[in-house]
Amino acid sequence: MVNDGAPSDVEVVARVLGGDGEAFGILIRRYEPGLLRFATRMLGNPDAAADAVAESLVRAYRHLAQCRDPARLRSWLYRITGNRCRSHLARRRTNDISLSEAPPLADASDSWAALERGEQVALVERALNALPAEKREAFVLKHVEGMSYEEMAAVTGARIPTLKMRVHRAREALLAALEELV
Amino acid sequence: MMAMSPIDPGLQEALDGVRDPGTLPMDLREAYARLMGAANLLQTLPAVSVAARVMADIHDLKPERIRPGPRLMRWLARPRAVTLRLRPAWTLALAAGLAAILLISTQSTRSPIPGPHQGVAQFVGRFPGARSVEVVGSFNDWSRGSLHLRDENHDGIWHGAAVLPAGPHEYMFVVDGERWVPDPLAGRYVDDGFGAGGENSLLIVRPAQASLDDDATLR
Repeated sequence: MVNDGAPSDVEVVARVLGGDGEAFGILIRRYEPGLLRFATRMLGNPDAAADAVAESLVRAYRHLAQCRDPARLRSWLYRITGNRCRSHLARRRTNDISLSEAPPLADASDSWAALERGEQVALVERALNALPAEKREAFVLKHVEGMSYEEMAAVTGARIPTLKMRVHRAREALLAALEELV
Repeated sequence: MMAMSPIDPGLQEALDGVRDPGTLPMDLREAYARLMGAANLLQTLPAVSVAARVMADIHDLKPERIRPGPRLMRWLARPRAVTLRLRPAWTLALAAGLAAILLISTQSTRSPIPGPHQGVAQFVGRFPGARSVEVVGSFNDWSRGSLHLRDENHDGIWHGAAVLPAGPHEYMFVVDGERWVPDPLAGRYVDDGFGAGGENSLLIVRPAQASLDDDATLR
């Protein structure tokens, strides 16, 4: 990513590997918001997501020399974060979202348009959390993070036809869930 | 269990950006709007930051250098089936040596008793000259300081044990606090997620109760 006048990822990585550890902060500011959003959507819990992203960024810093293509740093960071989320989900095993985190059920008389934004977000999060992790990840990378299937393949390690199938299935499940919840 | 039916291919094409959603029938346009509206809602950015925490964590760290030829080293170190024809005297000596090692391991490992869904993981690595060896992995959030191996005999053989939840766990050895190395004896490895061909070691912990059941079956 190259912003107006801002150093490219390749330049920043070179600075960090050259001993300028503070330059890593540029990469954090650049990618932290998206990574936090991705992890939050994957884990359904902002605190767990913050932990996963913090751990991922520390690991990324430590292993920065292993990033073969710094021009694709974004994919590499999402890949590390995705792996951390998968580890977290594997440990959690069961869906341990507490009742306090679960959004309230919408009243059947409410229409989609009439719901307040906060309620809408909660409703969609609830439908998203009901998806299996692989489908949830595919939907989030495609429609929330706006990635191409090629970039999604770099992030997940899955083949493009597999990812397309996951996205299609996720859309179907999400649409069904939304129709059921609203 | 929610009912899930296949979405019209035309709607999938529109969602993939290869078809103008305006050409969809009205009912599919509503479904399109609902899904894209959901995606837009999920694009809300979290109002938290971990930047200060990460910068504090990496303050005293330096990026590690790439290990030279990790795949070659792992190939060389990976255990393989080897048939040895030993003379009786050598066989006896070898058996005595192995028995001693196992005895020492058993005596020096005071593992807590695992629960019904836990098992005991044994870690052994040969690191001559190392000052410290510890294990980090998915079971301790890859954090150092919780599972140190011991080399009581000062022979470069470091060992330790931990009670872990049953199931698969990824791990690495950290030698002298800075060198991360996979376990050459792990037998199983998985992509470490860094995209450079590196791999984490993988162990699968069996529940202690299952082991006991197996033992009982054998009797």
